[in-house]
Amino acid sequence: MSTAPLIRAIQERLREAQYHNIATPFQMAGVRFDFTAAMRGNEGRALDLILLFDTTTGDFGDREAARVRQRVEALSRALDVMGSRYVVTAILAGALLAETIEALAETCRVLQVEDIAIGADGRPADEAAMRQLEDQIRMLLPLQLPEAAAESQDGDGSVMEQLVRALPATQKALLDAVIVSSEHGEQAVTEAAGLAIGAPFESNEKADPS
Amino acid sequence: MTASILKELDITNFRSIRGHVHAPLDAKVVLIHGENGAGKTSLLSAIELALTGSVQSLYRADAGYAKHLLHRSAGKGSVLLKTSGAVGEQSFETRLDSTGATTFGKLEQRLAGFFSERAYLPQSLLGQLLQIYQDSGSDVDSPLAKFVGKLLGLDRLDALEAGLKPLVDIRNVRKVVHGWSSAEIEKTRIGHLLDSQRNARTAIVEILTAEINGLKAIAVQVAPNLPVGEDSLGALTTELENKVDAAALDNVLAHIRELGAIKREISLARESVEEAKVLPDAGSLAGAYQRWESGQGAQVSAMRARVEQLLPNVTLPSDLGRFPEEAFVQLRAEAKELSDRAVQARIDSTRRAAAESERDTALAQRGTIDAEVESASSDSGSLASALAELTSFIDSEICPACDRDFNEVGKGALSDHVHSKVRRLSGSAERLLALSRSRSEAQLSVERLEREIESLTTRILDPKVLADLDRRAAYLETAMAELEELAEAFRQGGKLRSEDVAARRALSEEQSRTAALLGARETLGSFARLVGAAEPGEGETFEAAVGRVELLLIAENRRLADRVAMRREGVNRIAAIRTALAQRAEIDARIDEDETARRRAEIALSLAQELRDEGIAVRDAVDRVRSAIIRREFNDRLNFLWGDLFVRLAPAEPFVPAFSIPPSGTRRLQPKLITEHRYGGEVGGTPGAMLSAGNLNTAALTLFIALHLAVPKELPWLILDDPVQSMDDVHIAHFAALLRTLSKEHGRQVLIAVHDRQLFEYLRLELSPAFTEDSLLTLELSRSRRRDTLCSHQRYFFKEETALMPAA
Repeated sequence: MSTAPLIRAIQERLREAQYHNIATPFQMAGVRFDFTAAMRGNEGRALDLILLFDTTTGDFGDREAARVRQRVEALSRALDVMGSRYVVTAILAGALLAETIEALAETCRVLQVEDIAIGADGRPADEAAMRQLEDQIRMLLPLQLPEAAAESQDGDGSVMEQLVRALPATQKALLDAVIVSSEHGEQAVTEAAGLAIGAPFESNEKADPS
Repeated sequence: MTASILKELDITNFRSIRGHVHAPLDAKVVLIHGENGAGKTSLLSAIELALTGSVQSLYRADAGYAKHLLHRSAGKGSVLLKTSGAVGEQSFETRLDSTGATTFGKLEQRLAGFFSERAYLPQSLLGQLLQIYQDSGSDVDSPLAKFVGKLLGLDRLDALEAGLKPLVDIRNVRKVVHGWSSAEIEKTRIGHLLDSQRNARTAIVEILTAEINGLKAIAVQVAPNLPVGEDSLGALTTELENKVDAAALDNVLAHIRELGAIKREISLARESVEEAKVLPDAGSLAGAYQRWESGQGAQVSAMRARVEQLLPNVTLPSDLGRFPEEAFVQLRAEAKELSDRAVQARIDSTRRAAAESERDTALAQRGTIDAEVESASSDSGSLASALAELTSFIDSEICPACDRDFNEVGKGALSDHVHSKVRRLSGSAERLLALSRSRSEAQLSVERLEREIESLTTRILDPKVLADLDRRAAYLETAMAELEELAEAFRQGGKLRSEDVAARRALSEEQSRTAALLGARETLGSFARLVGAAEPGEGETFEAAVGRVELLLIAENRRLADRVAMRREGVNRIAAIRTALAQRAEIDARIDEDETARRRAEIALSLAQELRDEGIAVRDAVDRVRSAIIRREFNDRLNFLWGDLFVRLAPAEPFVPAFSIPPSGTRRLQPKLITEHRYGGEVGGTPGAMLSAGNLNTAALTLFIALHLAVPKELPWLILDDPVQSMDDVHIAHFAALLRTLSKEHGRQVLIAVHDRQLFEYLRLELSPAFTEDSLLTLELSRSRRRDTLCSHQRYFFKEETALMPAA
């Protein structure tokens, strides 16, 4: 059977996020369920059960809202019966009526993916398309914290280094003085700068005791 | 601290919780359920109170909230929180009574701040969060500024920027940099000094030039062979001080004086020559005198001889004209004297006779007094006083001296006798005193009279002498009479003789004058030779010759005087030049010195200016660096994270909230809250304008979580108080997924309170343990009006899922 490129792209992206395919059809509480595709998470997401529907070209009634709903509700009931803790997420690839989604949302988490430009290789055509795809299924993907600010935990090393780098590497007397004093606040900086700038006058006074 | 978890909580009579409640918290997710008013918020704020000592959300509502923390039915209460982690188990306790709360062992300030701002989201804050961040962007102490400062450690950059700010304005630089303004003032002062010194120098150089030019003009005249310049002043001085011209001038002056003498001589000689024309007739005068001589002369001479004989001690004038007069005076004086002497002699003689008789009288008085004195006893006074003393011893008729009875005498009482005797004796003593006074007076008279008599005796003339005096006086009278008769003859004789003498003297003077005139011409001739002029020629008058010579001398005098003056002026000019040179050297030295000082001040100022520029450059760099950091932090980190979280919860919302950082001026951080289109990047309005109420809530919630995640993980706790009040079902499902992600992938211990039963059940399912170490606790709070709050808890463990079977 031929799987739609969008479904493949979603699967591909989820696999990158440590989800794996579940062979379909599968049995739950003795009932056989057939889906275009099903996936399951790993570790902390081990209880995530993902069902994919191709509302444009799919089989098993994917193109009919009522049948999609029937199957999801049936699965949901089967999970209840089994006392399972699986959390079902339905990914609907393609256009769908808003009422359908609302109705589905009562039984499971619903994600809708549509209007993604898919390239010849079966992957999203460009970064924007990839981002669009990711945004639609983002809550299934791991949360990437931007590089932690821990490098500048006390503030200073790197910030001060950046500052030093931002300045021409000429005479550093004043810079060093004010950087050291910056730890003690604005007044200390002013005093240190005043001292450093006043240094030429000091030596002048020493040279000329009059 | 990072690995620490909240372990358990014991609450007694705190806010809406009545009685004691024990709540275990040691699970990765704690799900709290309760109806509204069951005490969910009380439970979560109990954690905040125990950890930080205060409840921020209550504080915002009422600063005096601490009094109301105790359950109103109870007298005291407490909150005890235990945590466990790398540092072991820790306890945080707060005791409550009606007056307030007392905290034991709260978190250090920094962690407490983190907890209140980043770990605990009270329900009341959620609605305000966006507004808080939107309104307070420009304040240094705003939550956002604090967030940024804490996040980036920009305190030091801020300190640098603020501390270096005074460098921008030169007025502040003067205040801040010690020595700057004094260096500037010094520079200006020296500048003025130099200007005035240069002016002074120019003036001196002008004077110098003028003096040297003047000196050159003089040197051409006086010392044409010497160069004139600042170096040849010594030689010039020597040459100018040469006395040759002065000596010549003296010489000429002497000549002029000499000529003057010659002129006087000549004029004298000429005058007398002219006088000689009225010479008296000497011959006739001599004849007249001779005639007088032979006529009255003998008579006059005899008279004169007689007068001279009469006045042997008087020198009389030889001039006959004056003789009679003088002789009269003398004769009259002599006559008066003689008559005075005679009169005096007669008076004296009369007086002596009178004085002698006076003396005799006085002598007789003295004799009488002496006789009386002799008759009086000399010691009657002392005897009287002795007897007077004795009277005090007399008390009967018995004499105290001889012991005889005075009655024997029969002349009254003894005391009366003695008293009368004393009186008698005293009276004679007084008499004696009066006598002695009279005697000394008499004695004085005698002595005075005797002295007078003696002096009169010596003065009194012999009668013969007196007769001579009278005779002589008679002679004098006669002589005076005769002289009077002859006075006219005397006068005439005197006149004639003097005329004769004058005529004869004039004659002899005339003779000597002619000789002088000749001599003068001779003198003039030789003088002219001496001064190098031609001798007076034949026929040349005295005036012409003298004038000629005089002109010559005057010309020479003038020439030499000019030269001498010129020399003097030259010397003066040299002195002036030397003074000017010295002044110039002095000013040059001062200018040199001041130039050095000014250069020094300039160098110091320019060095300081360079440093100031460096400081300003540092400040600019601070601005750039901070700007870059903030931009990066906001755009790359916070906005990224916020956007990611927001999209997770609202995948269908095309507008994503974000902070917009203005391109400049990061000191006063003014990020604005905006929305961006997710793909177009176009900027929309504020979230409040662009998002639905549900998504607005989502934006606030995700902002809180983004802020929590963006800062270093100091406390790994995320406590959310009923955050899903108005989220629709879709969002709730997504929110549950997010919580799971935070708990299971990012190690946050999540405490979440919900009031909705369905949501509670859903979350319990969604947050079920997914692997072996995973854990979930549910707490259910309930209460009624009559009983204490109940807290039932249930722990869920991981259970392998077996429900899903591949289809056979």
